[in-house]
Amino acid sequence: MTDTIILAQSLTKNYGSVQALRGVDLEVRKGEIFGFLGPNGAGKTTTIRCMLDMIRPNGGTLRVLGLDPQKEPVAVQARTGYLPGEFAFEGRLTVEGALKYLASLRGDNFDWGFVKKLAERLDLDLKPQFKNLSKGNKQKVGVVQALMHRPELLLLDEPTAGLDPLVQQEVLKLVREANENGTTVFFSSHILSEVQEIAGRVGIIRRGVVVETAGVQELIQKSLRRLRVRFAAPVADGALGQIPGVSILSQDETSVSIQIEGEMDALVKALAKYPVQDLESERPSLEEIFMAYYEEE
Amino acid sequence: MLTEFRNTLRRSWGAILGWGLSLGALGFFMMGFYDTLEDQRAMLEQLIAQYPPELMAFFGGNGTANLFTPAGYLTMEFFSLMPVVLGIFGVMAGSGLLAGDEENGLLDLVMAYPVSRSNLFFGRLLGFAVTLAAILGLTWLAFVAGIGTTSMDVTAVELVRPFVSLYAIVFLFGGLSLCLSMALPSRGMAGMLGGVLMVASYFIQSLSTLNESLEKVAEYLPLRYYQSGYAIEGLNSDWAWLLGFGLLFTALAWALFLRRDIRVSGEGNWRFGFAKIVFKKPA
Repeated sequence: MTDTIILAQSLTKNYGSVQALRGVDLEVRKGEIFGFLGPNGAGKTTTIRCMLDMIRPNGGTLRVLGLDPQKEPVAVQARTGYLPGEFAFEGRLTVEGALKYLASLRGDNFDWGFVKKLAERLDLDLKPQFKNLSKGNKQKVGVVQALMHRPELLLLDEPTAGLDPLVQQEVLKLVREANENGTTVFFSSHILSEVQEIAGRVGIIRRGVVVETAGVQELIQKSLRRLRVRFAAPVADGALGQIPGVSILSQDETSVSIQIEGEMDALVKALAKYPVQDLESERPSLEEIFMAYYEEE
Repeated sequence: MLTEFRNTLRRSWGAILGWGLSLGALGFFMMGFYDTLEDQRAMLEQLIAQYPPELMAFFGGNGTANLFTPAGYLTMEFFSLMPVVLGIFGVMAGSGLLAGDEENGLLDLVMAYPVSRSNLFFGRLLGFAVTLAAILGLTWLAFVAGIGTTSMDVTAVELVRPFVSLYAIVFLFGGLSLCLSMALPSRGMAGMLGGVLMVASYFIQSLSTLNESLEKVAEYLPLRYYQSGYAIEGLNSDWAWLLGFGLLFTALAWALFLRRDIRVSGEGNWRFGFAKIVFKKPA
């Protein structure tokens, strides 16, 4: 129990007649990076906001850092860093002013040197007013404020939204470093690649219910890939369709479009028997993984 | 709480200077015009006699005699309209005190910091209370500066009294709007309803001096207990009742804030469906 940082059991939340959470069960262990996956409207943000007592669940149990966020919200918030999905701030303040104000909400003891270091790594200028920042730079401020007090738990709601690929990488690196220094990370996303890159385990939420909790590799096994293969010479119909997990989407004399679920090994070995001229692989979207998962169900 | 108080004050300096200097300038020049009024008394009495009584009622006067006394002059020229004019500030500031940041998404961030809901609420409420006091304080200073430019027989201390009454009524409208913003799903709706109640109260109270059927309704309206410029002749306890009701509304707002969900940016619209308000579902 002491190793459990977040525990949700049968967590429900209704907005009028809309059931946003319909019984979320979740366990996040100390020291792990946990990716929380789901399409828009699945209940990711609602779950995170329950953890910080911004909204009150209608039922179920929720413990964060061993505490009930509804009974001891300040104690939970003191040990947590949070990046909201849509990071907004008062436009008139400079970045420095904004970060100093936020730091003062945690008390006066904070390491400004560390804040400057974080800003440097993200190439974030502290002088401009918040209203003059681009969407990406605003998101950088959000990342800095979440990390600046070296929290025990990081709750990140789509942390790389609006960032260019280079900064995305730097943010993921910062998150990984925080994790290496002992911070447990819970982050929501609908971008599979970034989850794959840093998360050890993932939970998939769909329509307010966690439908799967698994290791990243396990999830990938469930995923579909699409391949388009062009051959230097004609290939007989049905030559690849017998391989387990492979479905032929379309085929003509010298090319074939394939959908494959699970291991690629058998397909690669089968393709090796033919004169392959070109091969394109398309990683599936998260929606497609969901579809694969639900087809199994 | 102190951090939020300081932050609220920092964000309000524009309002303090804008409202305080504008109203102060108006008050200063108004004090200076008092003597010219006496010089033109005969002509003004003739003019005012031709005004419909309904018009005079809206300026807090019920006869020409009032205009030529300090209390009547201050009422008709300044204090009668101030509950509505400064009330606009009260309604806007009250309805936006928490719901404004809630709708633009800032509250979602601030609430993730280790600040209890009560500390956040009272820090901001105190900021509002001090901002209002600062606006009225600046205005009062301008009035006091204006004493030297007029023969009006009024002291600085006597001038404090109508400002106390004005503070109480504006605080009441601010508290009411704050309470509405906690109960209704949008800041805009709370501000609009607060404003409508304020203006309706002003109209009914003004017309009740001419129409007996409105008299009973007016007894239940806060403006009936606002003393206006007549307070320079002596402040009764009505201001304390107004302030008390203002505090009652803020206490209700606090209770609602402790219990309610915090909306995220983009929420806060009205959706009517069989008289039921349905909140927008967040992601």
